Amino acid sequence: MKENEVKQTLDDIREMMSKSSRFQAISGWSIIVIGLLAGIASLMAAAVIGVADVPFFDNLQRYSTLNTPLKIRIAALIALILFTVCLIIVFVFAIVKSKRHNLPFAFDKRMRQMLLDFFIPLIAGGLFSMAMVMQQHYGLTSSIMLMFYGLALINCSHYTYPILRWLGYTELLIGIIDCFTMSHALLFWFLGFSVAHILFGIIYVLMFDRKNA
Amino acid sequence: MAILEGLNKVFENKVRLGIMSVLAANGSADFAALKSLLDLTDGNLASHTRSLEEAGYIRSEKKFIGRKPNTTYLITDAGRAAFAAHIDALERFLKDCRS
Repeated sequence: MKENEVKQTLDDIREMMSKSSRFQAISGWSIIVIGLLAGIASLMAAAVIGVADVPFFDNLQRYSTLNTPLKIRIAALIALILFTVCLIIVFVFAIVKSKRHNLPFAFDKRMRQMLLDFFIPLIAGGLFSMAMVMQQHYGLTSSIMLMFYGLALINCSHYTYPILRWLGYTELLIGIIDCFTMSHALLFWFLGFSVAHILFGIIYVLMFDRKNA
Repeated sequence: MAILEGLNKVFENKVRLGIMSVLAANGSADFAALKSLLDLTDGNLASHTRSLEEAGYIRSEKKFIGRKPNTTYLITDAGRAAFAAHIDALERFLKDCRS
């Protein structure tokens, strides 16, 4: 056996171990797109609710005839639509990527387990923040969303690349800081769901997508 | 060749090494998953899993999901040890080449 042959064999083993145990189909581009969409959604929410940080959005409030519970409900609806669109985007991008690079993508035991691990914390957090909104406790909604989303990512990250775990830690940290900070909810929401996704998406693309392209 | 000591004959085949890689990483995998990961035909995969089973490196569990038979393959302790020893031997060989 020659040196190159042995090296190739070891690389093959490494690749097969990684390919079979990690869900590689997630595309970094979809993470960037999610970040951009979340940015647009936070601007829309800012226009509806108004933000003290940005005078332009605050001034808009003078013309608004909506009352606070209604404004919050509109914002929650925007978030819900955003979430649904993002889920579809992740799946479509993953299917395209797995076709292009011949990666496994099947609704098998691993995928079911991964989705379960992701959705259990997420749904718990979603219901929690919905209950808060319904009881008109608006202050902590953004922190709850950020923290539970972070926990969901951490919880399912061992099925995929470790970088998603770091995205989870980041969301969790932003959520925790948000808890203790008054009246900058939308700013933290923007940081967590838009800026963090775009940054981690770019790193993900550079680390994994470009290499395989 | 003394330098290739420790290399396992059973793992000289690429398919068998692939099966062992998947099972070492995941503990178990079913027939369909192995087939698609390694891009093999039914017959090809079955003959290699049989030889690995005969060597005692993997074992299979057959059950029915509804009416469909489903075979899951699991790595045995002996299989794990043999696979680790094989990789060690390969890595030692590379080291010797470099030094």
